[in-house]
Amino acid sequence: MSSIHLPSGRRDIGDYLGRLHWPMIAALSLIAGVGVLTLYSVAGGAWSPWALKHAIRFGAALSLMVAMAFVPIRFWMALAYPTYFGALIALALVPFIGATNMGAQRWLEYGAFQFQPSEAMKIGLVMGLARYYYGLRAEQVSHPVFLAPPVAMILAPVGLVFIQPDLGTSLLLAATGFSIVLLAGVSWRITFLGGLAALIGAYGAYRFEILKPYQLERIFTFLDPDRDPLGQGYHLLQSKTGIGSGGLTGKGFMEGTQAQLKFLPEMQTDFIFTVFGEEFGFVGAVSLLGLYLTVILMGVFVAVRARSHFARLVSMGVVVTFALYVLINTGMVMGLAPVVGVPLPLVSYGGTVMLTIMGGFGLVLSAHASRDQDASGIIV
Amino acid sequence: MRGGGDQERKELFTRRAALFSGGVTLLFGGVAARLYHLQIANHEAFNELAIENQFNSRVLTPLRGEIVDRFGVSLASNRQNFRVLLVPEETSDPEEALQKIANYVELPPSRRQRILREIRRTSGVNPVQVIDNLDWDEFAKISFARPELPGALPEVGETRNYPFGPATAFVIGYVGAVTDRDLQAEDDEGERVLLRQPGFKVGRDGLERTYERELRGVAGEMQVKVNAHGQVLDEYRDDAVQPEQGRPLALTIDAELQAAAMKELEGESASAVVLDIETGDVLVLASTPAFDPNLFNTGIPSSLWRELNESPYKPLLNKPLGGIYPPGSTFKMVSAIAAQRSGIRPDHSVRCLGRMYYGNRYFHCWKRGGHGVVDMKNSLKKSCDVYYYDIAQQLDIDLLADTAERLGLGQSYNLGIPGERGGTVPSREWKRAFYAGSPENQRWYPGETLSVVIGQGAATSTPLQLAVMAARIASGKQVRPRMVRMVGETISPQPNFADVEIDPAYFDVARAGMDAVTNEIGGTAYRSRLDNPDWRLAGKTGTSQVYRITAEERAKGLTKPEQLPWEKRDHALFVCFAPFENPRYACSVVVEHGIGGSRAAGPKAREIMRAVLKKDPASLPPIGPSALAAAGPAGRRGRG
Repeated sequence: MSSIHLPSGRRDIGDYLGRLHWPMIAALSLIAGVGVLTLYSVAGGAWSPWALKHAIRFGAALSLMVAMAFVPIRFWMALAYPTYFGALIALALVPFIGATNMGAQRWLEYGAFQFQPSEAMKIGLVMGLARYYYGLRAEQVSHPVFLAPPVAMILAPVGLVFIQPDLGTSLLLAATGFSIVLLAGVSWRITFLGGLAALIGAYGAYRFEILKPYQLERIFTFLDPDRDPLGQGYHLLQSKTGIGSGGLTGKGFMEGTQAQLKFLPEMQTDFIFTVFGEEFGFVGAVSLLGLYLTVILMGVFVAVRARSHFARLVSMGVVVTFALYVLINTGMVMGLAPVVGVPLPLVSYGGTVMLTIMGGFGLVLSAHASRDQDASGIIV
Repeated sequence: MRGGGDQERKELFTRRAALFSGGVTLLFGGVAARLYHLQIANHEAFNELAIENQFNSRVLTPLRGEIVDRFGVSLASNRQNFRVLLVPEETSDPEEALQKIANYVELPPSRRQRILREIRRTSGVNPVQVIDNLDWDEFAKISFARPELPGALPEVGETRNYPFGPATAFVIGYVGAVTDRDLQAEDDEGERVLLRQPGFKVGRDGLERTYERELRGVAGEMQVKVNAHGQVLDEYRDDAVQPEQGRPLALTIDAELQAAAMKELEGESASAVVLDIETGDVLVLASTPAFDPNLFNTGIPSSLWRELNESPYKPLLNKPLGGIYPPGSTFKMVSAIAAQRSGIRPDHSVRCLGRMYYGNRYFHCWKRGGHGVVDMKNSLKKSCDVYYYDIAQQLDIDLLADTAERLGLGQSYNLGIPGERGGTVPSREWKRAFYAGSPENQRWYPGETLSVVIGQGAATSTPLQLAVMAARIASGKQVRPRMVRMVGETISPQPNFADVEIDPAYFDVARAGMDAVTNEIGGTAYRSRLDNPDWRLAGKTGTSQVYRITAEERAKGLTKPEQLPWEKRDHALFVCFAPFENPRYACSVVVEHGIGGSRAAGPKAREIMRAVLKKDPASLPPIGPSALAAAGPAGRRGRG
């Protein structure tokens, strides 16, 4: 094997391959495999239009992730603020030059190339906040002066995404951001006050009709699914019917009647868990959940083991985002959370989200590979 | 930030990360618990919902029962109908869908509007028929283009076919689309579901309407697998409950003779009835002009409907049953028999001078110069009016009415065809009822009997009643006409008619008089005789006044009826039976505004009777139950 000298640590590629988090790569690949399988079924047993593209995209994203893992975490730290602010500027530009799609402006277009700044912000926010707390001592974390910047860093993108409007992503960003603040060690008292402020803000949003009618409708439908049996609630009922009728072992691959007979909405994206649950049953669905939890816990271990505070917080940030995706999506299709349009990571069809997730895990893998280095790159 | 400072925040971080892990694990547990709740605890309920989603029961429309004539010739059958339905659920914009369909078949805007209304009326739940009776080319074209036509469903249905068209229109009737009123009138939910099937037809008139229950059949049911859009993906034919075709009807009609009679009457506003005297079988029930019921299947074009309604020839009136005419001189046999019942002997003679003074005015004979001395037989042969004016003075109106009724007038026979009318047999009681509101008009005046005795005044009859009268005079039996010989396998029993409750001897002179009308020189219908001695035809002419030429008009030179406008001309009537020695067939012909019975009605009746006697349908075996069960190419199968 040819020996490549990498700038940091001066080891050859064999060493680096050894430092890759293989179990995590395997788990992620398994999840993506479930995605390919289910998309094949959703298409009525065909590679097109989704399954093949999903597999190809995963292959590309996987390469990106591994490539990112080869880059030491301190380089990523150097890129943290530029990433955050770049994404923020792009987000701010969306209302002016963004493309409108289905009533919401979320995309920036340049020729055939499409770019969704809110997705980039999911990584950007995690990196930015981690970078910020890297520079803070433990006793400073709860000090109001040091609390203000991260709050601003969170609220700015949350607000911009909210006005696109994209309630789901803005809530996701807010939750991720405040999770990082919490993990950085902010006191419970401040957490409590923050939570109270969020509740008041939510009430204000409702009171002053900041939410769009369809957003309110989704929340109300979640609270009382019987209020419109053929609208949102109908989809939810069909989704629950799909999952419930799957039973213990499911109806079998490509045998899901709810899915194959098109009773489910958005089967290839938001409601793909329903398809999987119907065809593979309780056993399959719980196994998939277990797979997700495995990835999450592995991520937590990577974070806890990291020597760099940036690496810790970035890894946890990615893991939190990932966990929120899984919990909100599965909760949504089973009537535990409002239908807000959050995909199931690596299983739902969609390139941007996959890129976000795999990019995030690229950082986690990098943190894992660099676990013995502190931020200056010195191996301890 | 190395060393001790990091240690503190690392510990804090680790604690919180551990807390997070615990929290997330707990939440995943919650999701798993929800999965358990849905997939294990409530699996049954959700599974049932999923099954309900996939399966729909589809109604299998039964084939309508066939209608055949007495020898099994098809009068109403079913044929394949290439049609296009629109499934509202499969298209977001039915209007646009129709627009696209209109690129392939002709679909005028008015028809499109009607379809859209229908969709709204049924809330878009059922498929709606867009067009039917397409030819194969059109059907193939639209089937081929189906991918571009959302919601369009080309399909092969069944539609009613009437091989004889107008010739049997008034017997069979026709079928038409189901209306809201039909649905409201139907109590049975299952039948209502059947009625709501796209393009389903029910009997609208004639036997089709009367025997709707028998003809409709029993709906079948088939489970189908559908997707969320209601598209049928799979059919479970093996487990289907097959529909049962409606019961066939076998009529007494002879289609061949019916068509011949229709041809004979062509160009006139006329009717003809032929009865089998022994069985009462209606062999011919002809009415002209007629409409083609095949055109009514698809919905009557409004222009045609208007034309049919406004025509002075009343092509929608079933004239043999619903047309009422003063019987005119055909009533004279009734008067002659009634006279004998009141003691006037057949050799009673009267000198006819062309008119008779009664009350304060003259009653005219149709022959201005008079007939000279006539007896009862000759009064019929020559149709002398004065003879009857004479006997009317000794004849009680109620006895005359009773005689008329015993001979079949003023009664309904309920052949199963809607629209049959009873006509009027005037009597004291009738007049009291008629003038119930004005007692001063209720009294019967003897002068009125003078009109009734020659079949004028208030007396009216239908052609069917006149044929029955001829049959009863010929046989002396209470002949009752019938139209339906068999419903399904149930054959109506051979009737055994009782004698008319009048001394049979009184009929002799009536028959002899009718024989003289056609077979003796000087008879009013001598030219309508049949020369074949086996077919000896006895008849009676009748001319019933529609408009009385006023003295003023006569003064202006209007003497000939041809000078009157068509609708003011007299009706021409003829009743007859044959063979004279052994009567088997009775016939009546009425030609509206035909001027004279002897020249307009008689020859037509002779030709119809010639065809009847030549074929002698009574001598041929009618179709039996087993042959009827197998009737029609479709047998008893339903449409799947």
